[in-house]
Amino acid sequence: MVMEFLKKYPYDENIPRRTLWIMKPFVVVSKLFVKAVIHRDVAILYPYEDLWMPDNYRGRPGLRFEKCISCGICVRMCPTSCIELVEVLDDAGNTVKRPQINLGRCAFCGYCAEYCPVDAMTVTPEKELAEYTREDLIYGPRRLACDKINKNMEVHLEETLMSDIKNGNSERRVNAFMTDRPILDSSKCISCKKCEKVCPVKAIKMIEHGVNAKGRPILWPEINKDICVCCHNCVDDCPKSALHMDEVL
Amino acid sequence: MAKDVLDIKAESAVMDTDKMWIIMGPQHPFSHGLWTLKIQVDGEIVKDAEPIVGYLHRGWEKEAEARSYPKIIPMADRLCYAASMTYTHLFCMTVEKALDIDVPEKAKYIRIVADEICRIQSHLMWLAAVGTDLGNFTVFLWCMREREFFMDLNVRLCGARMTTNYPRIGGVRNDTTELFDRDVMRCVERFEKVLMDDIVTLIDDSSVFVSRMKGVGYLTREQTVNLGITGPAMRGAGVDFDIRRDDPYDNYDKIDFDVPVMTQGDSYSRYQVRIEEMLQSCKIIRQAVQKVKALGKNAPYRLKVPSNVPAGRSTVRLEDPRGESLMYLISDGTDKPYRLKVRSPIFTNVSAAKPLVQGCRIADVPVVMAMIDMCLGETDR
Repeated sequence: MVMEFLKKYPYDENIPRRTLWIMKPFVVVSKLFVKAVIHRDVAILYPYEDLWMPDNYRGRPGLRFEKCISCGICVRMCPTSCIELVEVLDDAGNTVKRPQINLGRCAFCGYCAEYCPVDAMTVTPEKELAEYTREDLIYGPRRLACDKINKNMEVHLEETLMSDIKNGNSERRVNAFMTDRPILDSSKCISCKKCEKVCPVKAIKMIEHGVNAKGRPILWPEINKDICVCCHNCVDDCPKSALHMDEVL
Repeated sequence: MAKDVLDIKAESAVMDTDKMWIIMGPQHPFSHGLWTLKIQVDGEIVKDAEPIVGYLHRGWEKEAEARSYPKIIPMADRLCYAASMTYTHLFCMTVEKALDIDVPEKAKYIRIVADEICRIQSHLMWLAAVGTDLGNFTVFLWCMREREFFMDLNVRLCGARMTTNYPRIGGVRNDTTELFDRDVMRCVERFEKVLMDDIVTLIDDSSVFVSRMKGVGYLTREQTVNLGITGPAMRGAGVDFDIRRDDPYDNYDKIDFDVPVMTQGDSYSRYQVRIEEMLQSCKIIRQAVQKVKALGKNAPYRLKVPSNVPAGRSTVRLEDPRGESLMYLISDGTDKPYRLKVRSPIFTNVSAAKPLVQGCRIADVPVVMAMIDMCLGETDR
């Protein structure tokens, strides 16, 4: 291997005393000068014209209102905790929960888009976000909508299982929403029905398993593994830690 | 007549002048970031120096203890704005070592491409700063112009320019986008030409700039090792050590490249090592992009990893653009680290300020200190 630069300019104890050194920068700069005269300006007149942006540009987060299932994964994954779920009216007039983003705190990391199980959260190409007040930087669920979302902005969580690579099935792509499901340790369950209430997709049903010593029914959650999106809400909210997530690796 | 004029040479030998402390920074044009360099001068000659850092302390390490592992990745981006990719890479490697998993081949090569893009971009940022320190604004503008092309490559790769948030625990965020390899090749080819023909010509052919750098800020090999200086500043003093070659991580051992080492140990040799490193990075990028291409489109690039890290300790080091950065993780079996220690190369390198600037003139201090490429985000954490 040749070190191009060190070969051309070897370390010389004597400082170069080239007589014409002062002309060399002029020659180099004049190339740019000629270029600028013949071609158009190098600078971009920003408000009137815009830089070209690639399809996968990561601007502010966007939301597709009707796709969202209010699972709260974006709230959990947000590293700056700028997302919170707020209650809004949907098109049919029902009260639903949708993410609201404080862009003053947003780090533009794209985690909310990456970890959304239904691709409701996306990144958008919007980057001109200046506002006059801090309150204006809080984007409600309706304001988060963006019509410039293209297909490349949907970041999918495409992971490969370690077991798949061992089995030679390395082309299969999975993600946690497809594989991981909560598992119940029934000895800890106190039949509080909390998991049933917090499940965003109604995948949990309380099934009666006999009667306890006081004569009250024992209810254990049964999880419909086809609907579950692995949002961790039931695991997090369980007061007795009876549920835990079974991670497929 | 001759009796009235003082013989300065004879007088100065016996005259005792007062030494004076000059405080450069935190708001000083030479200090690239918020740090202070106190120098003690005797006339024009610097006798003593004392760096003061800590103005940018954000409690990074403590904050990391309150976050789950994936949430630390965007924070690691912000350790250093010029070396965001290497710090995220380092954090991901540390957690991968704690989890004891092997990352897919494709992810390793993509990370190498991303790291070297980051290295070139960081060195260009440094060269731009050196240009302004020496009073050459053209160098600054041209380096920033070249840096834009590498920023655009970052956008092509992951959608963001500076805080890339690209490596993930177990791989990378997304596969290389369409035509990324073509863009990288074009960009690298163009950059090599521009760096050698334009930017370097402005500096190395001009005796004004070379004489400002040559022969100032000497460090011997022994001093370098004893002070714990790493990175290009160390290789400029004759210590032949590069983690990429001597303790290879990812797939650097499968890539053919040279480590430039200079033995002179002054500012100019540190400058030369960095310029040559940029050209070597171009070589690495070319090879790594070919390897990514050869692996095919369907090769896995991201593993599904468990969210809980088993209890234990892991240490990983990596060749940052500025030197050797290290992370030390103590995990306790939960999804949050118990302790995450960052060893920043600049925090150690800046402690060499005293031997570096001792004996220099005040005007030489900016260019001598610029050669260690200050970055305060990682120093203060």
